[in-house]
Amino acid sequence: MDLDRRGIPGGFIASTEFVEAAASQARSLGFDPSKVFVGHPIQDRSNAEMEKLAEDAFEEVLALVVENNA
Amino acid sequence: MTTVLMDPTAELSPDGRMPLPKPKSLDGLTVGLLNISKPRGDVFLDRIDDLLGQKGVQTKRYSKPTFTRIAPTELKQQIATECDVVIEALAD
Amino acid sequence: MSQYVLVLKEDCETCKLLAPVTKRLINELDLTIYSQDNPEFPSDVPVIDDTELEYSFKHRLETVPTLLKFDDERELIEVARTEGWDRQEWQRLTGLNFPDDLPAFRPGCGSKTMDPGMLDKLAVKYGSADLEVRRLSIEDGEDEIEACYDRGWSDGLPLVPPTELRVVKMLQGTRRSPDEIIGSVPPDYAPCSVLKVAVNAVMAGCKPEYMPVVLAAVEAALLDEFCMHGLLATTYFSGPMVVVNGPISRAIGMNSKGNALGQGNRANATIGRALQLVIRNVGGGKPQGVDRAALGNPGKYTFCFAEDETNSCWDSYSVDKGFDSEESTVTLFAADGVQGIVDQKSRTPESLCRSFAAGLRVASHPKMVMAADAFLVITPEHERVFKDAAWSKEQVKTELESLLQIDGAELISGAGGIAEGIPDKFADKVVPKFREGGLNIVRAGGGAGMFSAIIAGWGASGSMGSVPVTVKVRH
Repeated sequence: MDLDRRGIPGGFIASTEFVEAAASQARSLGFDPSKVFVGHPIQDRSNAEMEKLAEDAFEEVLALVVENNA
Repeated sequence: MTTVLMDPTAELSPDGRMPLPKPKSLDGLTVGLLNISKPRGDVFLDRIDDLLGQKGVQTKRYSKPTFTRIAPTELKQQIATECDVVIEALAD
Repeated sequence: MSQYVLVLKEDCETCKLLAPVTKRLINELDLTIYSQDNPEFPSDVPVIDDTELEYSFKHRLETVPTLLKFDDERELIEVARTEGWDRQEWQRLTGLNFPDDLPAFRPGCGSKTMDPGMLDKLAVKYGSADLEVRRLSIEDGEDEIEACYDRGWSDGLPLVPPTELRVVKMLQGTRRSPDEIIGSVPPDYAPCSVLKVAVNAVMAGCKPEYMPVVLAAVEAALLDEFCMHGLLATTYFSGPMVVVNGPISRAIGMNSKGNALGQGNRANATIGRALQLVIRNVGGGKPQGVDRAALGNPGKYTFCFAEDETNSCWDSYSVDKGFDSEESTVTLFAADGVQGIVDQKSRTPESLCRSFAAGLRVASHPKMVMAADAFLVITPEHERVFKDAAWSKEQVKTELESLLQIDGAELISGAGGIAEGIPDKFADKVVPKFREGGLNIVRAGGGAGMFSAIIAGWGASGSMGSVPVTVKVRH
């Protein structure tokens, strides 16, 4: 949110564990940022698995920073 | 304690602050990739960085000193000056 | 037939004194009894529970016991009330005689509505509950002032968070109903109610007593002739300047003297700001959005002052416009910034007028004519030059207008090596700098200083753009 206040649009990526917390924070801050959720767990994934997560999520990630041109 | 404020606007838009609109294209823009420094986030961002590079998009990498605290002001100022848009990853 | 209401509390010696009398009163009068602390008191008579203080608050009780008398025929209008126990008064109101064993007089006690902090609480509870407006909850941990910034309400400076209590108090500054619609504010043309003005007035830092002036300023801004939409959307410098005339300017402590156009006076600062906030928040007009000013000017934060009507040999601006000197008015002008005129040597009105004319000549551009209007703010030291020569304001204007008749040859495009200018066909004509009625004179400023000011206006004036508008202040 602070970068948004500074004029930099964007968003964040989090694991699905974060869904509730993000919603609650959005309510209390009165600000709902753009976000992408990727599958949990994260910490014990191999490099190859992390890279696949990134590839699968890439279209959504792009939408955090550019208007969808579909 | 919750404070209740009355809305001074014409109430034409949704309650709360809306995120800034995204640019229509990334041509000529710099995408900041901010690693919030939780484990494995770097690998994820490396791949995103590659994929953006393949599309010809300019990127810049940043890292929070620690995931336990919010990004320091200097880092935010740096990102705001050097980038046009930002992606933060990876919270879990 | 008259109806009566008696409000009591048990925790009051005078009320206890009256308790035995109430039974008789109930039988002989159309009487309703309310109790502020114990609905069982007095005993043996029907009592309505007002421990929530709703009746007491809405009837502005300050003392108990209070006996209220209502006129049945005129829709229960209150016609009289008496506080405490005064035998003569009670006899007068009720037409009844009271036993001699009651004293002639006993003072009452404070109504529970007057307990510390209670009025504020009740104001929010009963005053704001039916106000129709969206409310936003700011959770604990979020800074209220940051919250206002985050929602885009601010002009850049911090706002006073518009809590319900502050808005309710602000509304007490006017007798107008909160849901009265003043007009539609450009550019979104959303309807603007008295309530919305109050919310923005709170944020600006106004006191409730400024409300009538703020409302008049908003009314003026929405007049068609003022052309608010055009003014907002222009790339030009201007924003609305507010000039206040009449008794209210003094009653609310506005500054018409030293530094009148500058900072430091709450009424000047906040009234101008409230208007800008209404335009921003209700109208939706923001910089780099619909507001496309290339540079703007600092007056767009706030630009508001009172004309100095004291010790002047001239009528005030509002009197010139046809208002009575006892009426209060608000005038709006689409203004740029302040252009100072220094003249510390002129002793004659002719010389001083030439100084003024030289400054007025360059408003917007020396070669631009019949475009912007202007306000000339004459300070007391300069006015003295005219006073000493017994020149009326009209004379000053006429003199200035004649000095500002300019040879077309100087003004046409290309003249003086400057591409800007008017069409060639005016080369052999004489053109006035200002359109008819475009030059306005007001008086303000501190006693020391041989300076006056020119405030030029938006390039589009008259029927093509904005004209200064004057509106009466209503309470």
